[in-house]
Amino acid sequence: MKFRCERDILVEALGTAGRAATTRPALPVLSGLRLSLEGDRLEVTGSDLDLTISTTVEVAGAEDGVAVLPAKLVGDIVRNLEPGAVELDTSGERPRISAGRSEFFLNAIPADEYPLPSEPQGETVVLGAEHLADGLRQVVGAASTDESRQILTGVLMAAEADGLRLVSTDSYRLAFRDLPGNAALEQGQHVLVPSRALQELARALGDASEVRLTLAEQMASFEVGPLRLVTRLIKGDFPDYEKLIPSDMPNCLTVERQTLQDAIRRVRLMARENSPIRLSMGPDGLELRAITQDVGEAVEELDAKYDGEPLTVAFNPDYLMNGLEVSPGEEVSLETRDAQRPAVLRSTGSTDFLYLLMPVRVG
Amino acid sequence: MRLLIARCSVDYDGRLTAHLPEATRLLMVKADGCVAIHADGGAYKPLNWMNAPNTLVCTDEEWVVTNPKGERLTIHLHEVLSDSSHDLGVDPGLQKDGVEAHLQVLLAGNPSAIAEGLTLVRREFPTDIGPVDLLCRDAEGQAVAVEIKRRGEIDGVEQLTRYLERMERDPALRGVRGVFVAQVVKPQARVLAESRGIDWVEVDYDGLRGLESDELRLF
Repeated sequence: MKFRCERDILVEALGTAGRAATTRPALPVLSGLRLSLEGDRLEVTGSDLDLTISTTVEVAGAEDGVAVLPAKLVGDIVRNLEPGAVELDTSGERPRISAGRSEFFLNAIPADEYPLPSEPQGETVVLGAEHLADGLRQVVGAASTDESRQILTGVLMAAEADGLRLVSTDSYRLAFRDLPGNAALEQGQHVLVPSRALQELARALGDASEVRLTLAEQMASFEVGPLRLVTRLIKGDFPDYEKLIPSDMPNCLTVERQTLQDAIRRVRLMARENSPIRLSMGPDGLELRAITQDVGEAVEELDAKYDGEPLTVAFNPDYLMNGLEVSPGEEVSLETRDAQRPAVLRSTGSTDFLYLLMPVRVG
Repeated sequence: MRLLIARCSVDYDGRLTAHLPEATRLLMVKADGCVAIHADGGAYKPLNWMNAPNTLVCTDEEWVVTNPKGERLTIHLHEVLSDSSHDLGVDPGLQKDGVEAHLQVLLAGNPSAIAEGLTLVRREFPTDIGPVDLLCRDAEGQAVAVEIKRRGEIDGVEQLTRYLERMERDPALRGVRGVFVAQVVKPQARVLAESRGIDWVEVDYDGLRGLESDELRLF
């Protein structure tokens, strides 16, 4: 294999595919990236068996071939070369990367050992990228990162009457987004996609206009322009989230989203060592308070509209902030029942998004 | 363990020379001969020390510690404030939160958490290549070998496969089947286990421990 390519184009391709490669691979060959050249089309693939990312770029191809090169090292080398054309030649005894007066010789990894995932066979549907990117940004952060509860590390994609629903939860909070008109799944169908894969998908969506989704029993593939992302699906039953969403909440706080975010950002400076932030809601508005023993205390009052009995509820400041960051619109409402039951954060005037947040018990 | 609190100054002579001016410090002489000089601050690291093997010569005025490399630590004792010795006995070592070992104990006490009808025959059942974590019998009396890991990965399935192959040679266990148990079984390990006819089960460690968190959760 031999080709020339602009450094920055190759850096981006190696970086994109490299995000699926792992430093602790199940198979040694998976610490590498697979580069495959056909004509002027270079495909770069990284995988950890759960997630495979491939991307293709146009290069000046001189000799077709396949090679597997150490992912991190080749990425670091190309990134640090002088700007301009980079040549990669694997026809010699050792793969050679050169640019200007720099030359690197690498030890190759046997390419025939690289396990390419089987492609999911099924009907391909096209989704609007803009709304999907928006939805993923809103829900992926609420998925758990604790692998001992693997079900919660996924995002539920479920068919709804007129579109697609995305739901994730880590058991402390739950994010929910409807994407009307995106009929990606058959009626009643749902799949659980690892949040890590969707995080990478969201990153790839950028300015794309559409995503091609192919679902099989255990796998899903997403194609965005030259990028293909194949992920295993998570098996198991997602919690019955609809039962968790309360209705008829007696208390409702309405406040400007940005104002509340700014105030939390200040007050949480005093919410150290997992201290919560207390929201005291009453006819005079909202008071935020954070106390950390041996550090100090912060208080800030905000203008807000409140309907209900005076109430103080404490939340994990990071989770509350995350909910506000992903809420659309300029105004949000926080609906509560009491200090120990879930609160519902919504954007005023929007029914497509909802963020359910469990309070923190305080003495 | 000898603990001496004294106003002292210290000179080290070896790869370099170093001097600790007169101050009150704790001198520790451990049962294995290690000598350490601590100030009243910092976490664990002494100001100066000499590992065993060494030779300690004590007089009322000074302690001299030398080692085979020719290094020498001289502690000049200006005033001894306290001198005591304690027999600490044999240390049991650092006990980490042994999730894997504890899982084995918990599952041995409750094998039905792995599969309904399972009863324990014994823990650490010996095979000629090492012990399998649990040997159980199912409701039909069939032998079941259980391998327990915190994270279920391919190497754990390989290990259980080897045990099963050895156990199958024992007429009393013939027909033994395997169950691979972990808090999380990775997808590759599931595929490998299923391809070899081995069942896999994920268990909730906290649930088995009967732990209830004080945290409020949605479910």
